[in-house]
Amino acid sequence: MAIQPLNSFAEEKTDSAAAPAESRMALNYLCSTDSVNLSATLTIKRGDMTLALENAVVEFTASNGTTTTILGTAKTNQEGSALLSFPSALLPTDKDGMVSYMAKFTGNDKYPAAEATSSAKPAKIRLFFSIEDSLRILKVTATQKNEKGEDVAIPKETVLIYIPRLFSLLKIGEISLDETGTGTLEFPKEIVGDTLGNLVVIAKIEEHDKFGFVQGKNVINWGVHKQYYKAEVPSRELWTPIAPLWMIITLLVMLAGVWAHYMYAVYELVMIKRLSKKDKPLF
Amino acid sequence: MELQQKNPLRDFAPQLERTSIQGYVWIVFLLAVIGLGFYAFLQQVFLGHEVTGMRDNVVWGVYIVNFIFFMGVSYAGALISGTLHLFKTAWRKPIIRMAEFITIIALLIGPCFILLCIGRLDKLHYLVLFGRIQSPITWDVIAITTDIFGCFIFLYLSLLRDLATLRDYELLQLPNWRKKLYKVLALGYTGTPEQQQRLNRATDIMAAMVISIAIIVYSVLAWIFSVTLQPGWHSTIFGPYFVIAAVYSGSAVLIVCMWVFRKVYHLEEYITKKHFVAVGLIMLVLAAFFGYFTFSDYLTKWYGSEKNDELLIQLLFKEFYWPFIISNYIGVLLPLLVVGIAKFRTISNITITSVVVIIALWLNRYIIVVPTLESPYLPIQDARPEWLNYSATWVEWSLTAAGVAIFCLLFTIASKFITIVPLSGSQGEEKKEDVLV
Repeated sequence: MAIQPLNSFAEEKTDSAAAPAESRMALNYLCSTDSVNLSATLTIKRGDMTLALENAVVEFTASNGTTTTILGTAKTNQEGSALLSFPSALLPTDKDGMVSYMAKFTGNDKYPAAEATSSAKPAKIRLFFSIEDSLRILKVTATQKNEKGEDVAIPKETVLIYIPRLFSLLKIGEISLDETGTGTLEFPKEIVGDTLGNLVVIAKIEEHDKFGFVQGKNVINWGVHKQYYKAEVPSRELWTPIAPLWMIITLLVMLAGVWAHYMYAVYELVMIKRLSKKDKPLF
Repeated sequence: MELQQKNPLRDFAPQLERTSIQGYVWIVFLLAVIGLGFYAFLQQVFLGHEVTGMRDNVVWGVYIVNFIFFMGVSYAGALISGTLHLFKTAWRKPIIRMAEFITIIALLIGPCFILLCIGRLDKLHYLVLFGRIQSPITWDVIAITTDIFGCFIFLYLSLLRDLATLRDYELLQLPNWRKKLYKVLALGYTGTPEQQQRLNRATDIMAAMVISIAIIVYSVLAWIFSVTLQPGWHSTIFGPYFVIAAVYSGSAVLIVCMWVFRKVYHLEEYITKKHFVAVGLIMLVLAAFFGYFTFSDYLTKWYGSEKNDELLIQLLFKEFYWPFIISNYIGVLLPLLVVGIAKFRTISNITITSVVVIIALWLNRYIIVVPTLESPYLPIQDARPEWLNYSATWVEWSLTAAGVAIFCLLFTIASKFITIVPLSGSQGEEKKEDVLV
């Protein structure tokens, strides 16, 4: 499949179609419990118009300043995003534990090359659930690796707690970590989960200068059980198997009444035709 | 009786027998507009709906507006002709056939526009095969089909006497095929008392039927909008509001048709100022009702202060300011002033007012359909900015012009086939002397 900007029809209609294309890359980083997730977004700017580039191959690398590791390649999707996940344990780190990431599009005849870099220190957030004095408690710990490769606490940071909903994440609270990288939150009682009451709980450190985006996730059945609505009798919804009886009866009566009158009018026309055989012309 | 003595058939013979140079130029012009519409249609078929202004967000545009408009004009024709017939209005004769033609011709064109909205015409038959009675779209398909049959039967019954007259009038210089066609279509009608009785009975029944069907069918069309919870559409008065708007626009179209045929076929003797004033007064009453319904609808929405209704009304007074003003202010007040004040009641003034009313009622349908679709309940995610607003393309305008051209062409052809003013009366009015030389 060829590399192409989305909405090429719209692009051709504009005056900016003749302008030289400029490739742009943005790199986003998210560190989850055991892996890092890299997301590179490739766009083409031509004149005033910016379009996502689809099917472009993006190469992801990680470096500690002396060693560069190729993490892998991924193709951009409809939104121009290429996604890659890589085990955090295999990342090359420098003496401070930092990793420099790079996403690179080598370009072709039509679209110039583009690259973007980002650096962050891998970290972990873990979530634990407990019930204390009949209160539901969420406990969060955040850790980073020291120079010996051991897990040490991330102190005095703010962790945001979310529950995924239909369109976005619902924020349910914030936790301030203590010196041991630990914090707690009383879990709310009235959040609707799935049919079993399961809730996915996400804890995040966001836009940190050193750690970037760090995320931990866990599932707990502390949600209110979801009850699916089930219509007991057929109603007006399009997905019900049959229409309501009153509607069928009304429609049939009306149609029968109308078409019976049509038939009567046609019958009168037939009778007029039959009567003509006995009569002479109009003049 | 005055008309009978003057022998209207002799007056109308040239209209049926020959077409003037201007007539041919007019037909070629209409065919050219239809040709442009056909080219636009091919563009749409081969390139898809992308060539229209309709997008994921605003899925209905000018096509559905035209559909509502033409269907409204059709139902108005049925209501006016049926009512004039049923109540045996004394002055109906010169204009009733135009109302009947408006009914049928608009009814044939209207549904074509709904077909233009459909992306997958190849699956159109699924509507019949898998139609669900609980869907308002299915109601509309059933209603329109029923209406088409009813209107054809009513028109045919109304034409029968004149078809017999044309069959038997030997002085008409027509090709043999047309004479044979008149003979077949006249069903051997010779005006015997029993034939008259049967014809009158059938016509009266069908007149009552087309009135009631027109009201029901146009209400069904209104319910397609009002059963949804969209701001601006979810209204309990949409059924009667649509019916009133339909008859209002139809009365205006009838006046314009009266003016055109009066000029083209020199019918000044038959269609007089009295007829313009009479239909104008019907239009005036309908304008008042239309204004009342419009005010009532928007007042309750505005006072209710429901968030999305407020957004919609803001949109109407900003981005759709002029269409809103023309349709709901000028379109209501102008007939009240022009027809309501006796000294303004001239044929030209009433006709110009009717043209304004037609434009106003078309715009009324536009501001019902488009602004609502541009202000949906849910926030729109990941939509391109150019998809959030609707703007009709040349393809849609060309097909709209083609629709109007087909309406004019079919009217022209119909007026060449049978007299635009009925030759015979009905309900026992007819006598052989009516049309005899």
